[in-house]
Formats: sequence, structure tokens, C-alpha cells
Amino acid sequence: MNLDGAFFGSFTYTLAHTKIGLEVLARPESAEGISTYYGLLFVRKDSGLKKGKDMREKRFAFVDKATTAGYLLPLDYFKNEGINDYKAFFSETYFTGTHEGAIYDVLNQKADVGAAKNTVFYRIAKNDPRILKELEILVRSPDVPENALALRKDLPDSIKQSIKSALLGMADDPEGVKVLSNFGAARFIETTDRDYAAVFTYAGKIGLDLATYDYIND
Amino acid sequence: MRKRVLIVVALFSILSILGGLYIIHSLSRATTIQGNLITLHQVEILREHLLIQIKKVQGDLTLKGTRHERDIGTLTTHVENMSMVIDACFDCHHSAVTSSRLMSLHERIDAYKLALSRVFTIRANTARLEWEEDVAFSIGRSLIDDLNAMLAFTSAQLDERTQAALMQIRRSKSVLTIFILTGPLLAIGLALILFKRISDPISSLLDATRKLKSGDLDHRVRGLKDEFGELAGSFNEMAESLKEQMQSMQRAEQLVVIGEMASGLAHEIKNPLAGIKASIEILGEDLELGDQDREVLSRIIEEIKKIEALLRSLLNYARPPAPQLDTLEIERVLTRALTSARYSVRGIHSRSEKETTVSFERNFDGNLPMILADPSQLEQVFLNLLLNAAEAMPEGGAVTLSASYDIATDTVRIEVSDTGPGLEEENIEKIFKPFYTTKPRGTGLGLAICRRLINQHGGDIGVENKPGGGARFIVTIPVHHDPGEESS
Repeated sequence: MNLDGAFFGSFTYTLAHTKIGLEVLARPESAEGISTYYGLLFVRKDSGLKKGKDMREKRFAFVDKATTAGYLLPLDYFKNEGINDYKAFFSETYFTGTHEGAIYDVLNQKADVGAAKNTVFYRIAKNDPRILKELEILVRSPDVPENALALRKDLPDSIKQSIKSALLGMADDPEGVKVLSNFGAARFIETTDRDYAAVFTYAGKIGLDLATYDYIND
Repeated sequence: MRKRVLIVVALFSILSILGGLYIIHSLSRATTIQGNLITLHQVEILREHLLIQIKKVQGDLTLKGTRHERDIGTLTTHVENMSMVIDACFDCHHSAVTSSRLMSLHERIDAYKLALSRVFTIRANTARLEWEEDVAFSIGRSLIDDLNAMLAFTSAQLDERTQAALMQIRRSKSVLTIFILTGPLLAIGLALILFKRISDPISSLLDATRKLKSGDLDHRVRGLKDEFGELAGSFNEMAESLKEQMQSMQRAEQLVVIGEMASGLAHEIKNPLAGIKASIEILGEDLELGDQDREVLSRIIEEIKKIEALLRSLLNYARPPAPQLDTLEIERVLTRALTSARYSVRGIHSRSEKETTVSFERNFDGNLPMILADPSQLEQVFLNLLLNAAEAMPEGGAVTLSASYDIATDTVRIEVSDTGPGLEEENIEKIFKPFYTTKPRGTGLGLAICRRLINQHGGDIGVENKPGGGARFIVTIPVHHDPGEESS
């Protein structure tokens, strides 16, 4: 199936942009004016883990190799804490596949440390009081853009432009407001590669070559 | 009878309505039962379907990591099918218990899906992977076990309900059969009873009519009720009246025969008797007879005269002259009769040895209406009655002649009452019959002629004893209405 565009996470967009030159267009903003998210690193409060060195021989739950919050942030953290070979440092590392999986695995003591994005973390916390009661957040990353719509580079500019103006004008149209509300956003805001600076910085810091990066979880 | 017919019709209507209602009820019940069974079957099918879907997913899970591993698309389709089926379970209405069971099933399927998703998304070491697979597998296993149990339960319930439904339908069928068989029988029975209740009285009445026709006037209809009872009563009254009329006709015929015989005989006797009388009178004049013999002859002539008077009366009774009708005032007739009576009584009493006095009194209402009558015949009647009254009082007394208008019957009522000893009860019945007399010298035809004359005038005559003693003859004569009088 050939797609002309899709919504990408912040890391998947930087990968897609670097590998096949996709161009980001716009991303949603919530009623509270939030259009970014950040990554969290968390442990159980009763685990006593506070710093990187406390985590030796512990189990670490990533989300996916292609996530900012679930992979890039932890790697950045490991680097900052002086953990060079995390596979050797931890007794076990694995990918849960979902942010929820990582959060619940730590909560249910299937893993000792976990990483996930703040939006999922607080969404689950709303329905499950144990999250805030039993988990402790160790690290918060800088903000990165929410999932955004990116289009194929070779699409005609007129189409790109009309899609963009349609998305950005939705909040001023009653019909558009309805669609946005169902989508869970207040409006679309313009997004450019500059918004992804933090991600590019992360990748650079941890030494990822985005052009050759194999994001299949191992 | 009308009430009974209504009751029978109402009873039958009610039975029909009840029968109809039962049929409708049993039909709708059977439909409901079948609907329930179909629903239950659908539930069973749905649950089997769900079981199959779960088994498919469980199969995919089992094949994971083998040479026959299915691609993720197939697995996703199977999981989606499973979700669709469990969602379909909620489309039907369920009891609270079933709903909560379904809810828990739904939650466990969600847990199963979550576990599956984990199995296929997680990237970890073999131990963790196998552990996750075991979790998903055990959820699937327990779902299958539970669904099997539910299916067994549904199936048992279905069997039970099918049996119950069949039983119910069989019972309805027997009741309906009984209805269908007994309904017409009941209707025929009721109709027969009703028919008999109508036809029996009719045939009884018909039988009575035939008996009446054949001359049995003593036959009476007995034992009938309601309207037929009334009819029987009327019928009996009719028979009674017919019998009376028949008897009176027979009597009248007898009288006519006797009268004709008597008048014929009287005619035949009258002429020879006149001859005998004339001959004896000549003999009496011609013969030189002693006083004793002359006395004998004159007695013979007296007796012959009596026979002649009797014959005249007899002829008068048997062949009364037709009345010469004229409108007249009754007072005049009565006054004349009263005057004649006074003269006659004076004559009688002057001849008798004893000095007795009979007074005649009149008591007429004013403004008596006119009547249509033969004045001489009426005068004859009232003179006869007045003289009879005087004769009934050998010791003297008062005879009162009164006349009044009876508005109820529109007749003039004339009464002749005396202060004599009155009549013996047994004589009251017979006094107007011919040849019946209480007087030693009477012919017994006077009152019979009176009655005949009054009847010819459309009136009536009767007699009664006064409560204070004495007899009272009552004559009623209809009032004459001039045809022009009413219209004016």
C-alpha cells in the first residue's frame, strides 16, 4: 500500500524525514494549548531506586525502538548516568510494544524501571489511582512535538498547501470544530522541522545515525 | 321463556368468546414459546460461534513460533471476529444475571486481547515471552472452558425448555381438541333443550286444539309455564267460554224446539177448545139445569178460560211479537204501568176477604235519558213485575218503583222492590225459566216472557233479595243515542 501521508510520532518523523524526506505539516493542539509531550522514567516508590547506579542488575522496560519517550530518552539518561552498555548493566531489557505495557509492568513488578510518554502516563493515572500512588517519576525529558501529519515530499505544493490551510482553518469552521472535538483536539498548529530539534539533538547525543538506524526491536 | 332463550344465547356466546380467547391465548403462547426457543437457539449458536472464534485465536497462539505460524493479519482478523461476536451477545436482552456473566466474559475477552497484544508486541527474552504467552494461553484456555460450560448449560436449558414447550403445546392441543369436540355438542345439546322447551308446550297446545275441535270441551292444558302458561290460561278460558256458549246454544235450541211444539200444540188445542167452550155455553143456556149442575158447567167454562189464557201466554212466549221500537221517555211507560197496577190491585183486594193494603211508591231520577223501546211491551213487563210484587205481599206492604241512569254501563236501571218475604235462594236461579212458578194459579210463563221481551230490547233482567228483606227485580235497558246527537 502506498501512502501519501500519515501521522508520525516525534521519533518516527525524524527517522522518516531523514530516510525518505517526508515533510511535516501540522499537529493538533489540545484545548489547554498543549501540542507537545515529554518522556518519563519511573520506578516503584517502594523500590528505593533513585539514580542510575541503583539500577544495576535490574530489569528495564522500553516501549519500542522507534519511540522518543520509550527509547531515546532512556538511552540519553543512561549516557548521562554513565551507563555505557545498558544491555550488560541491566539484568534484562525488553520492549513492551506499548507505553501502557511499560507503565503496568513496572507497577506490577514485572520490570523495575520503565520509560513512557507523559500523555499516556497521566491518561492511565486518571482511571487507575495506583499509578500516582505507587510510581515515582525519576526523570522528565524536554518537550517534543505531538504526533504530526507529514506528507510525501514529491506531492505537488498546491495539494500540500491546501491540506495545510484546511487543517489550520478547521478551528474557525463549525463543522471543523466538531471533527476536531471527536479527534480530541482544539485546533491544528503549523509544525516544521525546527520543532523536532530536541529529537535530533537526542539522536546525535546518543550516537544514532538516523539514516541507517534499524528500528526493529531486538 | 324469552328470558331462558336469552340466557341460553348469552351462555353460548360467553362459551364461544371464552373458547375464542383460549384459542388466541394458546396460539400466542405457542408463538411466544417458539420465539423463546428460537432466541435460545440463537444464543446457543452465538455462543458456539464465540467458542469457535476463541479456539481459532487460541490456535493461532499455539502455532506461534512453529513452522505453521499464521501471519499477524490472520490473527488480527480472528481477534476482530471474536470481538464482534462477543459484542453481538449484548444485542439481545438479558436478565441481570446473564448480563453480569456476559459483562465478566467481555472483560475477560478484553484481558485476553490485551494479553495477546502483549504477546505479539513485546520484544524480550524467551522466558518473559513464554511467560506472556502462558498468561494469554491460560486466559484463552479458561475462556474456552467457561464457554463450554455455558454452552452445556444453554444446551441443557434448551432441551428442558423444548420439552416444556412441547408439553405445553400438547396440552393446548388437547384442550383445543376438547373445545372443538365439546363445543358443537354443547351447542346441539343447548339447542335441543331449548327446542324441546318450545316444542313441548306447542305440541301440548296443538293437541288441546285438536281435542277441542273433536268436541272435547272439558280438556284443559296443564303444567305449562311462563308465556306458554299464559297462553294455556287463555286457551283454557276460551274452552270454558266455548263450553258455556255451547250449553246455552243447546238450551236455546231445546227451547226453540219445545216452543215450536208447544205453540203448534196450542194452536191445535185452541180451536177445539173454543168449540167446546161455545157448546157448553149453549148447553148451559138451553138445558133446564139445577143450580148444582149450572155451577158445574160454569166451573167447566172457568177452567176452559184458564186453559185459553195459558195457551195465549204460551203462544205469546213462543212467538213473541216483534217490538215496535220508538224513542221514548221511560217515565211515561213506568207511570202508566204504575197506574194500571194500582187499579188492578184495588180490584183484587176488593174481591178478597181480608182488608189488606199495598202501597205503590215511585222514585225516579230527574232527566232520565231516552230509550228505544216498544212502549206497550215494556208496560206489560213492568205491570207484570209490579203485580207480582203486590201478590208476594198477601199481608200488605209497599212496592217501590225506582229509575236511575247508570253512567258506567250507559243504561237506564229500573228497580221493582217489595217488602215481602223475599225469594228462596234456590228459586232465584230458576225464576225466569218457563213453566216454573211458585204461585198456585200461575202459568210459569210471566217472568219468562218478561225476560224474553227485555232481551229483545237489548236489556237484561235479574232478581236479588234485599238485605233488609223483600225481593228486588232489576231491569237495565240501554240508553238510546240519536245518531245525529253524537256528531253535533
